[in-house]
Amino acid sequence: MTGVELDPVEIQVLQDLTILVFAPFVSGAIAHLGARLQGRRGPRVLQPYYDIAKLFCKETLVPEEASWVFLAGPVVAFACYLTVPLLIPVLTQYPLPLGYMGDILGGGFILSLAGFAVALAALESGDPYAQLGSSRAMTFGALIQPSILFVTFTVALVTATDLPYFEAAAVRSSLGQAIAPAHLLAAVAFFLVVLSDTGRIPVETHASTLEFGMIDEARTFEHSGPALALLKWGAAMKQLILYVILINVFAAPWGEAGSRQVGAVLLAIPAFIGKALGVGVIFAVIDNSFSKLRLFKITEFMAVAFLLAVLAVLVLFLGAR
Amino acid sequence: MAALGTSPSTLTDAADVIALLVLLSEFAMLRSSLSRSQVRLYGFQSLCVSVLAGFVAATQHIGELYGLMGLSFVLKVIVVPMVILRLVREVRVDVTASHRLGVATMVLLAIVLSVFGVFVVGRLPVHSHSLPILALGLAAAVILVAFLLVIVRNDVVSQAIGFFSLENGVSVASLVLAAGLPLIVEVAFLFDLLVAVVVFGLLMRVHQGRSRTLSTRALDRLRG
Repeated sequence: MTGVELDPVEIQVLQDLTILVFAPFVSGAIAHLGARLQGRRGPRVLQPYYDIAKLFCKETLVPEEASWVFLAGPVVAFACYLTVPLLIPVLTQYPLPLGYMGDILGGGFILSLAGFAVALAALESGDPYAQLGSSRAMTFGALIQPSILFVTFTVALVTATDLPYFEAAAVRSSLGQAIAPAHLLAAVAFFLVVLSDTGRIPVETHASTLEFGMIDEARTFEHSGPALALLKWGAAMKQLILYVILINVFAAPWGEAGSRQVGAVLLAIPAFIGKALGVGVIFAVIDNSFSKLRLFKITEFMAVAFLLAVLAVLVLFLGAR
Repeated sequence: MAALGTSPSTLTDAADVIALLVLLSEFAMLRSSLSRSQVRLYGFQSLCVSVLAGFVAATQHIGELYGLMGLSFVLKVIVVPMVILRLVREVRVDVTASHRLGVATMVLLAIVLSVFGVFVVGRLPVHSHSLPILALGLAAAVILVAFLLVIVRNDVVSQAIGFFSLENGVSVASLVLAAGLPLIVEVAFLFDLLVAVVVFGLLMRVHQGRSRTLSTRALDRLRG
């Protein structure tokens, strides 16, 4: 085992870069696959990169009444999305030094802060649709919180911590733990949370142009130029971050680097992207096989996620006896 | 259990997952708005109960339970859903959205009830060697949610399905507590179910014939 070892800090930077660089790729791949499933040719897989590059070259227009918050929102959100990958297991099985900086709730708070910044910027714009979008995003974001909390409780009951690295290690430790009912329930509940938070079909049509069904997408209406590029890039990163938590903590925490060897860490990148694309296929299939729920029926969807998360805690409570 | 070559905890987990599926299908019945899908869900739930019976038969080496499994499979997975589906088809009334409450509210209420059921059973000093005690808690939850289903849905099909799935909950509970129950008692349970199917079938026909609907809302209208 005499290879070049990477410094933990370098690995942590690499985690961030992985998310930063590959997020638009995963988004593009899902969009492409979704179009193919509908019998269209669809955009190129690399299209999101071209979009972002084009937007960075354009000028920024700001509504007359808007203040500095309008321009600061996207930057703050982007910074938040760059912070979260430091806390979660993207490439390694072992915790990195900054991984202890925050637990699952900490990561959740940072993601919420990002959502808050985008919502504030949307409010500043004065555009009714942007305001409608941010109002809805905040409402449904609050409604999905109980499910996230109960998933966190499950993790806490299983591992006696609420650090994502320990949950992943517990799942890896034995097959019995991976197919334990509580773990399955929590994983499915988190899957539903990801579905709702990434604006996928039962909750929101991802690429629609109909304002009345919009939640997340409507918030960016008034932004332009580099600010819009940051928002789009940030949305892709948020999606990939949630995939990381779903895959590397709950569903399939296998294939990450177990050592600090350069080869192992670099090999973990394609392994992770492969897993993310696998999840993306599932999301694209769901996108094409279900219809969007009416806005007032979304609470039913969230009730299901909550039910599964509560049952996970119940099972652990009674199963421990 | 060593004969099966798997660890006890994995077996317990498998039993727990099946019992959970029974509870989840009960929840699905509570929220699904179409009578047809409710009946199909009932069939699925009965299938889970049969599998659970087969599971106990295999792990505890109780031969009679295989008979019970086969009987309950034929009756509850095939015959009863077929009969009810046929009745619903004949009536030609689409029973939709008979909820008295919003779906999310109902699910939350049901969650509270199942938490209550599981916790109460958790306090009982019961020990079972056929199935994990969690299955008993989940069976209690199934029974309570079935009661809720009968109470908050006002159409005849829901009430029949609620009653039948109540029986499924009781079956699971009896598998946990008295797996070695004489076959004749279990068969008597199933016979009860058949009587209930006949009664509910009759009720559906008569109610539909009188009021041209399957909704029980018409029942509190006075005639004179």
